[in-house]
Amino acid sequence: LALYFHIGEREEKCIIEDIPSDTLVVGNYKVQRWDIHKHDFLESAPGLGMFVTVTSPSGEVLLSKLYGPQGTFSFTSYLSGEHIICFQSNSTRFAVTAGSKLRIHLDIRVGEHFLDESAIQAKDKVNEVNVRLEHLIEQIHHVTREQDYEREREEKFRKTSEETNSNILWWAIVQTLILISIGIWQIKSLRDFFISKKLV
Amino acid sequence: MLLRGYGTAGPWGWLTLLLVACVAWASEITFELPDNAKQCFYEEIVQGKKCTLEFQVITGGHYDVDCRLEGPDGSVLYKEMKKQYDSFTFTASRNGTYKFCFSNEFSTFTHKTVYFDFQVGEDPPLFPGENRATALTQMESACVSIHEALKSVIDYQTHFRLREAQGRSRAEDLNTRVAYWSIGEAIILLVVSIGQVFLLKSFFSDKRTTTTRVAS
Repeated sequence: LALYFHIGEREEKCIIEDIPSDTLVVGNYKVQRWDIHKHDFLESAPGLGMFVTVTSPSGEVLLSKLYGPQGTFSFTSYLSGEHIICFQSNSTRFAVTAGSKLRIHLDIRVGEHFLDESAIQAKDKVNEVNVRLEHLIEQIHHVTREQDYEREREEKFRKTSEETNSNILWWAIVQTLILISIGIWQIKSLRDFFISKKLV
Repeated sequence: MLLRGYGTAGPWGWLTLLLVACVAWASEITFELPDNAKQCFYEEIVQGKKCTLEFQVITGGHYDVDCRLEGPDGSVLYKEMKKQYDSFTFTASRNGTYKFCFSNEFSTFTHKTVYFDFQVGEDPPLFPGENRATALTQMESACVSIHEALKSVIDYQTHFRLREAQGRSRAEDLNTRVAYWSIGEAIILLVVSIGQVFLLKSFFSDKRTTTTRVAS
């Protein structure tokens, strides 16, 4: 767990994962609390937990659990799209003291990154290659799923662009018609007005 | 956490596994950076490791962000302002905690979504060298080349996905802007032209009493 970042004690930090459907996401995290007296992050703070909330692209909550200071969570996506993973600590005491913060170590694995290392330690050569091949097949499936998702998104993109294009064309035509008709109305109205005022 | 459950392996197996577990790490995170905010990430790196930091802004404003990478002694290894996309490779010259920060402090009201990928070390070899007395078999070589090819496919896919997300974000912005602008301009046109006519009429109505004799 090498990468880490800091947040305030009551703050919620969210990361976004844009993934295709049927993809397994596994996350490992570790949280430490800043100790003001020791001026360092405590190795383990008792009672400190993290709320992990995962929201699917349709707004439905896939996962919402309280874990301890160190934990692993996982979920499988049903829909393709942006899934939002949020972390918030369960500390209730108000962070009145300035500089009270949390250090979160995070590691998120999406799709095919799982190497079951224990199976590889088999002495049998054929078994090892077998395992590697299965891993490769898993990778290929992930690539295929991403490509399907990409096709969906490109369609949405193309629809938006075509809609913009037709909007602009429609607007140009309507604007010209409005201009011409308003111009005619203005001149007619003024001419009638001046004739009635006996100025013309 | 990688070492759990390997009780049956011999001592060399443990060593290899330990080496494999320490060799490489890659973290990629997509997060939202609010306006006037700065977000820093830290990573402990061993000396001599070759590391790559790559980032891209996906949505928001002009799609640019400030990025800064500092070594354990505070020395600035990489600093760029208002960049949309960049990739930076460096070799860790000393042990310690390296820090990289993304800053949106120059922006007053646009949130940015930033993606970054921080790769530490090279990937572990597919078939660890326990018995390197013999060369890799054909099966193993084929596996290795397929694995490399797939890794680069996945890499390209990620890049493409990010570019497409950025393009789509721009297209949706453009669409909403065009919609609002056309409605706004229609309203302004009508209001201004009708207003003009009535204003002109009002000029002549007031002077009616003073110009009655001129036209005869």
